[in-house]
Amino acid sequence: MKRFATTLTLLLIFMLVFAACAAPVAAPEGDAAATEAPAEEAADAGAADAAADGDVITLEFWHAMSGNLNDLVDELVARFNDSQDGIVVNATYQGSYDDTYNALLAAFDAGGAPNIVQNFDLASQTMIDTGRLVPAWQLMEADGYDASVFVDAVRDYYSDENGMVGMAFNSSTPLVYYNADMLAAAGVEMPEGSMSFSEFKALCDQILAADDAPPYCVTFGQVGWYFEEILANSGGLYFNENNGRTGRPTEVVFNQEQGVEVFSFLTGLISEGYAPNLGNTWTDTDSTFLTQQAAIIFDSTSDVSIIQNSEFQVDTTYIPHSDSSDRNGVVIGGAALWLIDSGDEAVNNAAWQFMKFLAEPAQQITWHTGSGYFPVRKDVQESEEIQTFWAENPNFQTAVDQLFTTPTTLDDGTPNYAVLGGRAGPFPAIRRLIVEAYSRVLNDGLSPQEALDEAAEKANDELANYNAFFE
Amino acid sequence: MSQATHSTSVTSTPAPSAARRRKRILSALEGYLYLAPTLIGLALFVYIPIFTSFRLSLNRIAPFGNRMRFVGFENYVNLLTDSDYWNSVRITLLFVLGTVPTGIFLAVVLAILLSYPVAHLKSLHRTLIFVPVIISSAVAGVLFRWLFHPVVGYLNFWMVQAGFFDSMKDAPNWLASKNWALLAVIIATTWRQLGFNVIIALAGVQNIDETFYDASKVDGAGTLQRLRHITLPLLSPTLFFLLIINVIYSFQAFGEIHVLTEGGPGRATTTLVYSIFYDAFVGTPQRGIASAQAYILAVMVVVMSYINFAVVNRRVHYQ
Repeated sequence: MKRFATTLTLLLIFMLVFAACAAPVAAPEGDAAATEAPAEEAADAGAADAAADGDVITLEFWHAMSGNLNDLVDELVARFNDSQDGIVVNATYQGSYDDTYNALLAAFDAGGAPNIVQNFDLASQTMIDTGRLVPAWQLMEADGYDASVFVDAVRDYYSDENGMVGMAFNSSTPLVYYNADMLAAAGVEMPEGSMSFSEFKALCDQILAADDAPPYCVTFGQVGWYFEEILANSGGLYFNENNGRTGRPTEVVFNQEQGVEVFSFLTGLISEGYAPNLGNTWTDTDSTFLTQQAAIIFDSTSDVSIIQNSEFQVDTTYIPHSDSSDRNGVVIGGAALWLIDSGDEAVNNAAWQFMKFLAEPAQQITWHTGSGYFPVRKDVQESEEIQTFWAENPNFQTAVDQLFTTPTTLDDGTPNYAVLGGRAGPFPAIRRLIVEAYSRVLNDGLSPQEALDEAAEKANDELANYNAFFE
Repeated sequence: MSQATHSTSVTSTPAPSAARRRKRILSALEGYLYLAPTLIGLALFVYIPIFTSFRLSLNRIAPFGNRMRFVGFENYVNLLTDSDYWNSVRITLLFVLGTVPTGIFLAVVLAILLSYPVAHLKSLHRTLIFVPVIISSAVAGVLFRWLFHPVVGYLNFWMVQAGFFDSMKDAPNWLASKNWALLAVIIATTWRQLGFNVIIALAGVQNIDETFYDASKVDGAGTLQRLRHITLPLLSPTLFFLLIINVIYSFQAFGEIHVLTEGGPGRATTTLVYSIFYDAFVGTPQRGIASAQAYILAVMVVVMSYINFAVVNRRVHYQ
């Protein structure tokens, strides 16, 4: 009897353990609720109808926003959930973009994929290639939604030949932040707009020549992003096939003229002593700038902490461009929301309602003022709240101007492929090759041309391996 | 296991009643039921993944998940002919050589000091030395990142203050220079592993019977002779254990590298494990190639452990 009782207890424990193990793999309640929802209600405003019937659609939303951004996302989600009765959105923080994407891949295999997932700009092609998306343009078409409300650069970045594929959510660009007190003390005036490389270095020489000059003029991390952005600002392309916008790219072209000029500038800033060699970092540059060891920092518009944490006046200006070009504009960075096909039109439509809600002016204003990410639609500029906010925070105005004045078509009417940004499946892996190229120049003494050629060779292999999946 | 064999041999003896046999089977089953949590856990998290990853290693797997291309041993061939991969092997070996002997040497020195000369301060010192162990590798990494910062870091600041260098610009660029980055990671890893090593070494030192020392004193042995002929030989089983554990730990080191250098500058701190992580999970995931790397690494670790047991174990004295 006693033995029987022990066995029973053990069995019970197993059942509990297995129940716990199974939970994350099991399909979320949303799917169950969704399949119950009658299909005919799906078509247009399905969500509201479903609510009338008392059916609630639960959506899983995976994102990669941590800290105060996570709080802000929760606030927006709560606002959506309160605004109607038919849909409940469940937002979960999944870690970094990489973590989120790996979780998504695992969920595709095991079940339990979310309805909406956030993934970063460079992953666009990979997201499309999963074949599991409902492209945003399809839903927009069905809904009669006009995509021209979005900022051109943002809309076109996330578009394919049919229209927007993902919905831009958190968008940022790089910006030049500078210590205005330090420049004033040195008697240096920052010129308006984007500087050429030699203008930038001349400015640095002036700053470093002053009494009490900081040890360095500028600081930036050796991440692939600044190379991409300054290349675009100089009108240079990254991939063939018009930056991968008119077909799958087969080669990188960043080792041509413009690329070499940009990379020589960036590595030169470090090797000539204008900037400290901080390696591949997003954070070590902040401490260098905030402790006034450098007068200028390249950073993302979303890094508002730079301004909040500084004990001096921080002003901003546009990123520089090469001597052999005119300012061409910036590529939008950040991440977008991707709608994963649940197989049920009502659920997809509910997810679209949520994405549409996030793009409304009220939510965009909350998001922009709270996070530093751009408002992704044009009409918020006219809002009084935004105008006051920009008047009080002129640095946001610079960031917005830099983006809004970026032309997405050239004078001859062709698309400005450089600022549309590169699109390629293995772009993240190729970005890493640029990070390595910095070290090839700074540690191994290669010339910028040699380092880029070497990176290009590896990058072309990456492209070939990726494209082989489509042969 | 032995019980199972035993019960089968018993069942073969003449004419056990059906009821008794059922009882035997039931009791054997009950035994497996107790083992089940471990067995199921091992199967789910060790054995099944071992087979799955071998299958994956023979394929190229699309970064977008749903497509696979069988390539046979091409992943292995590519790796073994790739100079970057051999560079990772070299870096891993340098990393192991940099962390393991230093770590064990420091641990033994500290253990002996803590046992004898400064024994009266033991709880304070032991706490100080053990604290790094309970700090997560990510936190340790961030702390060292601050220390190593070439512009505002304390380490270079102190070295300049102490007169080793004229200015911060002359001091080592710990994390961004190829010449220093591996050393920086080795320092951080050794520091964090030290507490564990000291605790084990301390237990070993204190386990040595006082009578050996008393006897040697009677024979007129000095401090160094006692260290050489008593402490170290009797400590050898502990040292052997530390060697095995530390080699495995170093092969698997990840947290410090990830936080401090992300395998950079260039690939100067990309060890085999870090390379597996990067290829499998970062940016453009390539799980087939990562699985092949994991298999090669597994073979290496088995060979290393075999060498450890075959060669080093012969020099170990058990009391």
